[in-house]
Amino acid sequence: MVDAIFAVFQRPNFLTFVIIFLWGFYVMVTRYNLVKKLIGMYLVQTSVIFFLVSISAKKGATVPVLLSTTEPVQAASYANPLPHVLTLTAIVVGVATLGVGLALCAAIYRKYGSLDEQEILEKIE
Amino acid sequence: MSHQLPAILFLLPLFAAISMPVVCLKHRHWSKPISLTILAAMVLVSILNLHNVVNHGEVRYAFSGWTAPLGIEWVADGLASVILVLLSVLGLLGVVFTGPTSPKALGGRIVHYYTLILLFFSALTGIVFARDLFNLFVFLEVAAISSYALIGVAGGRALFAAFRYLILGTIGASIYLLGVSYLYAVTGTLNMADMADKLPFLLGSKALVGGLLFIFIGLGIKMALVPFHAWMPEAYAYAPDSVSPILASLLTKIALLAWVRIIYWVLNASIVVYGIPILLLVAVLGALAAVIGASLALAQRDLKMMFAYGGISHIGIILIGIGQGNQTGFVGGIFYLLNDAVMQAALFFLAGVAFCHYGVRTIDDIGRVGKQAPWLTGSLVVIALGMVGLPPTGGFFGKWNIILGALEADNYVSVAAVVLSTLLTLAYFVKLLEGIFCQTSTRLDVQFGEIPLSFKMTLGVTSAAIMLLGLFSSPIVQLLLNHALPPRF
Repeated sequence: MVDAIFAVFQRPNFLTFVIIFLWGFYVMVTRYNLVKKLIGMYLVQTSVIFFLVSISAKKGATVPVLLSTTEPVQAASYANPLPHVLTLTAIVVGVATLGVGLALCAAIYRKYGSLDEQEILEKIE
Repeated sequence: MSHQLPAILFLLPLFAAISMPVVCLKHRHWSKPISLTILAAMVLVSILNLHNVVNHGEVRYAFSGWTAPLGIEWVADGLASVILVLLSVLGLLGVVFTGPTSPKALGGRIVHYYTLILLFFSALTGIVFARDLFNLFVFLEVAAISSYALIGVAGGRALFAAFRYLILGTIGASIYLLGVSYLYAVTGTLNMADMADKLPFLLGSKALVGGLLFIFIGLGIKMALVPFHAWMPEAYAYAPDSVSPILASLLTKIALLAWVRIIYWVLNASIVVYGIPILLLVAVLGALAAVIGASLALAQRDLKMMFAYGGISHIGIILIGIGQGNQTGFVGGIFYLLNDAVMQAALFFLAGVAFCHYGVRTIDDIGRVGKQAPWLTGSLVVIALGMVGLPPTGGFFGKWNIILGALEADNYVSVAAVVLSTLLTLAYFVKLLEGIFCQTSTRLDVQFGEIPLSFKMTLGVTSAAIMLLGLFSSPIVQLLLNHALPPRF
């Protein structure tokens, strides 16, 4: 048990990921305001992106551009570029989703005059 | 030329979607003919592609010439090609159906609507072809974003349903991405074939179990599997009448196809992770979905709500077939998927016609239309036969193969679940048919006019397709058996 707790603190990036993810989830579930729900949703997305970047981090490595064309390639001295590329795409996807979400919020506000979930549900009934 | 067909199939709707807002800025009425042309071209190209794949084997398409483990790869195999023919035909029918419903129902946003429809179809094409887990995520999200916008395009009650779907769908996508990054961390690859080669050596890894769990939950939300189905009925019921047939017939089924790809193409089907056989899990989840979805459908009064819950139960039946782990069950599941897509499209076309032309939303009102609606009643009877699964229709042969597969695997619980869900389906269709034929409600002396040609066409073609899929079931099943089976099966 103590070992497990100790192991968690060995990897602060995973701990940070879990905290941001759960925080976003908590905000999304407990708040009634639709914009706050969107903020929670974006926190969850960001936490996954953070996780993806952090698993590719490497100590003492440099950008993946070949330093010399004559020496054999040392994989250990370059950071893996793929997760960063994936992250860029995931950020674009997240921004697009958020844009649609905000547009829906604006349309809901124009129709019901409120962003509070309970008030909207009362008006729908 | 023939090896470029997958890319052509994807780029046709994508370019049309991108250029639509510019081209149709001044000429809004051009948007429908353009989309019809593009989708008709997609039907032709997808049939060509199927013909090519059946005769010359699968087509591997490497983007920019970067081959498999390094680059992004698309594979047009038998399964993808069959699904694409279905997808483009249903898309064409959906656009044909849009004509008479659109002017008031879409709130004047015609160009937006067609742009989103084309974007949606290009994304679905991407999901079907993609053999790269991250590529799959991107297309799932493009399809999801265009469907959020499509549901909300007309405003009104649908806005809130679309917002709920957006929140849940995005959580699903994030969890899926998390699972993919776990698997990437374990295997160091995203290509499905490459990952399939590496996974057997990593079965003890906890990260693998976590990654698979997250992927299953994420895709489960996307395909409205039973514990995660909350977004689906509202979104489909309140979406504009021309949108819900397209979404209901394709969105959840294509997400299910992505799941099938991961189970059979990435994982070996017979895999056991920490003492849990994955396929048994799939079959159990399917059985739960089949029974719970059908019982919830029985409780609905609103037509579209009822059909949406019916869709949830049919997702379960497909999963039961997929989860048997033998060829009969797998082919039965895929064949049932084809049938179910057609039947869901037909059901929501029917609900759309009932509302747009006859003003009927619930079972209580449907008795009013009675004998004045021969097309509506006729196609309802055919669809009911298909949904319940009586012999001349495709639904029967799908369920038949699924049950045969379950018996072959000695899985009697699955058989019981299919039979129980069939009985429940029968029960809610009896309710519907009773409403129409027994005329329990007060009849109004309203004379309804002839329904428009495009309504007749969509109802007629889908009803005929349900029958034809049944009549030609053995060549189709044979085609699937020869060309659509996963590797090492």
